[in-house]
Amino acid sequence: MGTEGFGPRIAFHIGNIPVSETVTVTWLIIAVLFIFSIVATRNMKKEAKGLQLIVEQIVSVINGLTKQNMGERNYMFAPFVGTLLFFIGISNIIGLLGFRPPTADLNTTMCLSITTFVLTQFFGLKSKGIGNYTKGFLQPMPLLLPLNIIGELANPVSLGFRLFGNIVAGVIIMSLLYGALGGFTEMLFGLAIPLLQAGVPAVLHIYFDLFAGLLQSFIFTMLSMVFISGAME
Amino acid sequence: MSMDMATAALRLGLVELSWTFVFQLINTLILYLILRKFLFGPVTNFMQKRENEIKNQIQHAKQLDEEAQKLKADYEAKLLLAEEEGKDVVKKYTQRAENRAFEIVKTAEAEVDNMKLNAHRELERERVKAVNELKGQISELTILAASKVVEKDLNEADHKELINKFISEVGETQWQN
Repeated sequence: MGTEGFGPRIAFHIGNIPVSETVTVTWLIIAVLFIFSIVATRNMKKEAKGLQLIVEQIVSVINGLTKQNMGERNYMFAPFVGTLLFFIGISNIIGLLGFRPPTADLNTTMCLSITTFVLTQFFGLKSKGIGNYTKGFLQPMPLLLPLNIIGELANPVSLGFRLFGNIVAGVIIMSLLYGALGGFTEMLFGLAIPLLQAGVPAVLHIYFDLFAGLLQSFIFTMLSMVFISGAME
Repeated sequence: MSMDMATAALRLGLVELSWTFVFQLINTLILYLILRKFLFGPVTNFMQKRENEIKNQIQHAKQLDEEAQKLKADYEAKLLLAEEEGKDVVKKYTQRAENRAFEIVKTAEAEVDNMKLNAHRELERERVKAVNELKGQISELTILAASKVVEKDLNEADHKELINKFISEVGETQWQN
């Protein structure tokens, strides 16, 4: 804990527990999605129009994605898939509004990847039965048991760190760039107003926030679906 | 970085697990429940319901269409039958009318023939009457002439018979025209 570095700022304390901006921004995202859900599903009409059309499209795309990747019978995972996609997607691009992305915090990404891990193990165990589940770790030969366990545990770690690394890299590069552009303006024009900060970072924002952000949210979601449905087969 | 006011705020470490993990776990669960209850649940249900409704409607429409086709075929058959019947009726009545016309003409012709015959008879009778009258007058004239020639008053009745006989022998044909 300190005042330097790129970690998330502490917004306030509950007793002794620090609440970081990761958590507050997450609350904001939850609030926005909650309001969006309520507003969009309010008096739905048979003939979809406007917002309802968009929501129906989003939901049916996520439903379709779930069915396609996890099979028709695992349709019930659609809300979970939607949660991952919405939460990670919005988190990753919220940097455009000046917030610190919650996914630029290892706690968030590990929380999500461990959730996926727990679901993977739980549904694997449930659908295979304890015998087949245990036997799976002894395949193709019992000697590989340690490797299988490491491989299984590596999934959530790689999943969580991949997302975290991508997003936090964007955050660090962008803040370094802003600092540098501020310094350049002062140096070149002798002004205290960081003029170069306007316009120049846009291209990098498009890459780091929009492109990498949406891509990473998609990768995380797809891999989660593959892990869970893979464990169930 | 010293210019950034916010850097003065306390920061958590960049790569460290903290209480944030617990918060995020709860937040994720809350978000999941919210999205499931308020977004995916209602929208999926709604779309499913609408899909079913549309399917039902399509099926209903198909059924109605089938019924309509059947009715149409029925009516077409009936129409055809009615047309046929109509033609028959027309034909029947035409035939009857023709027959009737033929009969009328025939009766009329017969009547005309009858009338002609009657007229002939009448004519004949008139002619015979006229001839007879002429015969009577001729005989009277002859008697008159003969009495003058003979100058002898004969019995009129005897003479009449005599002359009639004579005329008959001469032949009526001379008086016919």
